[in-house]
Amino acid sequence: MQFDLGITRNGLREIKTRMARGAPSHRAPKEFLRQYSDLVDGLVRKAFWKAQSELPAPSVCLMAVGGYGRGELALYSDIDLLLLYSSSQKEDLPPLIEKTLYPLWDLGFDVSCSSRSVDECLAMAQSDLYIKTGLIDGRYLDGEYEFFRTFYDLFTKRILHRNVRDFAAALRRDLQQRHQKYENPEYVLEPNVKEARGGLRDFQVGRWVIRARHKTDRWDSILFPDQSRALDRSLEFLWTVRNELHLLSGRRQDDLTFELQEKIAPLLEFPSGPQGIEEMMRQYHLSTQRLSSFAEGVLDRALSEPGRMKRFLSVFKRKRIDPHFAAAHGEIHLLDPVTFKRDPAQLMKLFEYCQTYQARIDYRMEEAILEALPFIDDRFQTSQAVNQAFLSILRKGDEVDGILKKMHELGFLSRYIPEYAEIEGRVHYDLYHVHPVDVHSLLAVEELIKLREGAYQEKIPLLSSLIKEMENPEILLLTTLLHDIGKGLEGDHSIVGAERVGKIADRMSLSAEEKEMMMFLVNRHLFMIETASRRDLHDEGTILHFAREVGSLARLKMLYLLSFADIKAVGPEAWTAWKDSLLMELFLKTSHFFEKGEMRSSLLKEEEMMRGLAKSLPPEVFSRYAEDLPARYLSCYAIEQITHHLEMARSIETEQVLVEWESTDGIHASVTVCTKDRYGLFARIAGSMFLNRLNILEAQIHTWGNGIALDTFQVEDKTEEMERRLQQFKSDLNNLLSGKVALKTLLTQRKQGNGLQPKVIPKVAGEVTINNRDSDFYTIVELSGEDRLGILYEITQALTDSGSDIHFARISTLGNRIVDVFYVQDTWGEKIEGKEKVEHLKRSLLGHLASREETT
Amino acid sequence: MKKIEAIVKPFKLDEVKNALSKLGVQGMTVSEVRGFGRQKGHTEVYRGAEYTIDFVPKSKIELIVIDELVTQVIETIERAAKTGKIGDGKIFVFPVEEVIRIRTGERGRDAI
Repeated sequence: MQFDLGITRNGLREIKTRMARGAPSHRAPKEFLRQYSDLVDGLVRKAFWKAQSELPAPSVCLMAVGGYGRGELALYSDIDLLLLYSSSQKEDLPPLIEKTLYPLWDLGFDVSCSSRSVDECLAMAQSDLYIKTGLIDGRYLDGEYEFFRTFYDLFTKRILHRNVRDFAAALRRDLQQRHQKYENPEYVLEPNVKEARGGLRDFQVGRWVIRARHKTDRWDSILFPDQSRALDRSLEFLWTVRNELHLLSGRRQDDLTFELQEKIAPLLEFPSGPQGIEEMMRQYHLSTQRLSSFAEGVLDRALSEPGRMKRFLSVFKRKRIDPHFAAAHGEIHLLDPVTFKRDPAQLMKLFEYCQTYQARIDYRMEEAILEALPFIDDRFQTSQAVNQAFLSILRKGDEVDGILKKMHELGFLSRYIPEYAEIEGRVHYDLYHVHPVDVHSLLAVEELIKLREGAYQEKIPLLSSLIKEMENPEILLLTTLLHDIGKGLEGDHSIVGAERVGKIADRMSLSAEEKEMMMFLVNRHLFMIETASRRDLHDEGTILHFAREVGSLARLKMLYLLSFADIKAVGPEAWTAWKDSLLMELFLKTSHFFEKGEMRSSLLKEEEMMRGLAKSLPPEVFSRYAEDLPARYLSCYAIEQITHHLEMARSIETEQVLVEWESTDGIHASVTVCTKDRYGLFARIAGSMFLNRLNILEAQIHTWGNGIALDTFQVEDKTEEMERRLQQFKSDLNNLLSGKVALKTLLTQRKQGNGLQPKVIPKVAGEVTINNRDSDFYTIVELSGEDRLGILYEITQALTDSGSDIHFARISTLGNRIVDVFYVQDTWGEKIEGKEKVEHLKRSLLGHLASREETT
Repeated sequence: MKKIEAIVKPFKLDEVKNALSKLGVQGMTVSEVRGFGRQKGHTEVYRGAEYTIDFVPKSKIELIVIDELVTQVIETIERAAKTGKIGDGKIFVFPVEEVIRIRTGERGRDAI
C-alpha cells in the first residue's frame, strides 16, 4: 500500500486488545491511556514524515489538541490535530493534510486536522470556547517547535490568563446546558460517562479553570489532601469504566447502558448478579457526585471572588448576628476561623442563619465546614442545641430542600446522620427507580417544599391544602428524608428502616409520639399506594382495614403526603393522574371514617373483640371466620353471643336456615335467625313474623363478609302463644326460603283479624330521610312512624321491591313509634343515587307509613 | 389472529394477569388509563371543599392471540375481572391482519 505505516488495521486491533489485556487498564487506567496515546503519537508522526517527504515541505508545526493533547486517549476517542503555519504557504497545506490523514483513516482512527496560522488560531481561541479549551491541552508533536512556542506563549498570556471570570462564566453556561440534556431519566439510568453531571468533562472544566486562574496543572493544589485523594480515586474509577466501555463495544461508546453495566461489573470484580451491578453503580454515582462538586466548587470560586475594594468595604457593611457570625451581601461570614473547631455545634447554627437571612454558603464557608467535619461526633449528634436547630430549619420550611442538598453535598448530612451514608449512591437495578436512594430522598423533600409553596395548587389541590395544615411539618420532612434509610441493608427495607428511624429519633430526643409516628410512616410507607392500586376501594372492608392499620387522621394525612413525595421523586413519569385519583379516593374515604368519629369507638371495640374471640374460639374456627366479621356486627354483640353465632353459622352448611329463640316471660322473646344471605331475605323474615302475629320491637340484621346473614329480633306476642307462633314462624320461613310457597300466597290465605286489640293512641306522623352523605358505601334510610303489626314487613318489602339490598338494619320501637335505620345498596352494590330514584323510594316508604292510618 | 383489549378495575389486574399466564399467554401490554362509562366519576367533600374524581382509574390490557385461544382468553378475563358491581369494565376483540417481530422479521403466528 502506498501509505503504509508498517501496520494493518487488524494488526492495530490486535495491539489494542493485547494492550488492554496486558496493561493495567483496571489498576492504572490513566497509565493505559498514556500508553495508547504514545502508540498513536508514533503512528501520527510516521504518517506526517511520509507526507512531508513526498511533498514540497512548507514549514509547519503539528500539534495534538483536546484529550489527545492531554495524552489521555481512550481507545476509540477522536484524535484532534492542529497544523500551525506561517501565513505565506497556505496553498501547500491541503495535500499535506490529506497525505497525513489517509493512512490514519485507513487504520480506522477517527482523526481530524485543522490548519491555522498563529494569528488565526489566537483570534479563534478568543471567540470560540471549544477551540480555547482544546488549545489549553495542546501539545507539540512534530515540525517547527518555534511555532509552537511562540503560539503557546501568546495564547497563555493574551487569552488564557485574561478575563478568567468570563471564561468561568462561559464554562458554567456550557456545563449547565450539557447537564440539562443529560438530566432526563434515561440518561440517569444509563449515564454518559463523559458528558453527564459529574462526568469526565466536568473534571476537565475544573482543571481548565484552575489552569487559567492559578497557572498550574496541579488541580489538587487547591484541595485538602483527603479530598484530592478521593477525587483522584473517583477519576480513576470513571476512566476504568470508560476504558471498558470502549473495549467491550469496539467503538466510541460513552453511555453506560444496562447491557454494558451487566458486562462491566464482573470485570471490575464486583459480585455477580444485580447486587454487583448495584454496587458498581453506587460507586459510579459517588464518584460523579465528587467530580461534580469539584467542578462546581472551582467555578464558584472563580465567579464569586469579589474585587479587593468590595471585600474591604463589606467589612464595614456587614451586620453582626451573634459573636460568631455576621451577614453581608447575601452571605454569612465567620468572624473567627476557629469557631467550628472550638464549638462544632455552631455548624448547625450556620445553616439556620443561612435560612433566616436567605444567604448562600460561599466557598470559604464550605472550606471551613469541610475542615470541621471530623469534629462531628456522637456528642454533636446528640446535642440538644444542634438537634433543636436542625428541627427548627425543617419546621420553618423555607429553602429546606436547598439547605439539605448543601448539607449532603458537603458530607455534613452523613456525618450528622451516619445512617444516611449507607444510602448514598445506592441504586436499584431496574427501570423504575431513576435516582440513587440519597438523591431520591432529597428530591422527595424538595417535592414537599414545592407542594407547600403552592407549585401544584392547580393540579393537586387537596394535597396542597393538606400540607399547609400540618401541625408538625418537621416530622413529615424528617421522615421523608429518612423513609428509605433501610435500603441496602439485609431484610425488608421498610422494617429495617423503621428500626433505624427509631434510633435516630432517640438520638434527636424526639418525643415518644413523634418517634412512634416516624417509625409507623417508614414501616408502612408503601402501604397507601399498594392499597390504592391493588384493592377494591368500593369495598367497605378495604377502607376499614386500611383505616384500622393507619389508626388516626393525623397519621393518614402524613402517610398521604409521604406517598405523594415518594412517588413524585421516583421520576418525572411516576406520578400519574391515575395514581393521583386512586390515592385521593382512598384518602377521602378513610378520612370520612375518622372524621365521623364512629370509627374510633367501633375500631377499638373491634380490636378488643378480636382479641377476646381469638382466646375463646378454637384457632381453626377463628382463622376461618375472623376476617369476615364486620365491625358493625362486632360492636353489637357480646363475645359469648358471637361464639354462639359462629356455631350456628357452621351448621347452616347442612341446614338451610337455623332459628333459635329464648323467651323469659312468655310475651317477649329474642329470636336469632342464621342463613345464607339472599336478596329480599329481611322482607321474608318480617313477612313470616307478621303472618304469625309476632310484633317486631327491635331487630338487628347483619351480613358477614362470607355471605352469611345473622339477624336477631326482639318480638312480642300478647296472646301468650309464643311457643306455637314461633314454631309456625320457623316452618313458614323454611318453606319460603326453600321456595315451596310464596309469601303472597301465605298472606292471602291467612287474611284474618290479627288478634290484637285496636287501642286509641296518639297518632305519629311518618318521616323518611334518605342519606347519601354519611357513608361512602351505603345509602342510609332512616324512618320513623306509627307502629303496627306488619309495618316492618311492608317497609322491608317496599325496599326490596325498589331494588334495594339491605346490609344492615337497626329496628327499635319507642312506645307506639318505630325508629328504623337501614343501610342499603342497589343490586349492583352501589348507593341509591339520582334524584329520581331517591324521591321514588321516599314516596313509596312514606306511603307505607301512612297507608293504614284510617283503618286502625 | 385477534387483538383483545380489556379495560378492568385496577385491583383486578394481577388476577387477570396471573389467570392469563396460567393459560399460556406469552405477552401482554398493560397501561394505566382513566375514563368513564356507566360508572361516572364522583365528587368527594373534605372540610367543605369539593374534590372531583371526574375520570375513573382503570387498567387496560392488550394482547394478541391466535384464533383458537380467543374464546378461552375472553372467558378467563371475564371470570378474573368480575366483581358483579358496576364498573367491572369491558372486553373488545379486533381482527388483526399481520404481526411482525421486528428483531427477526418473523411474521404471523410465529411472531406472537
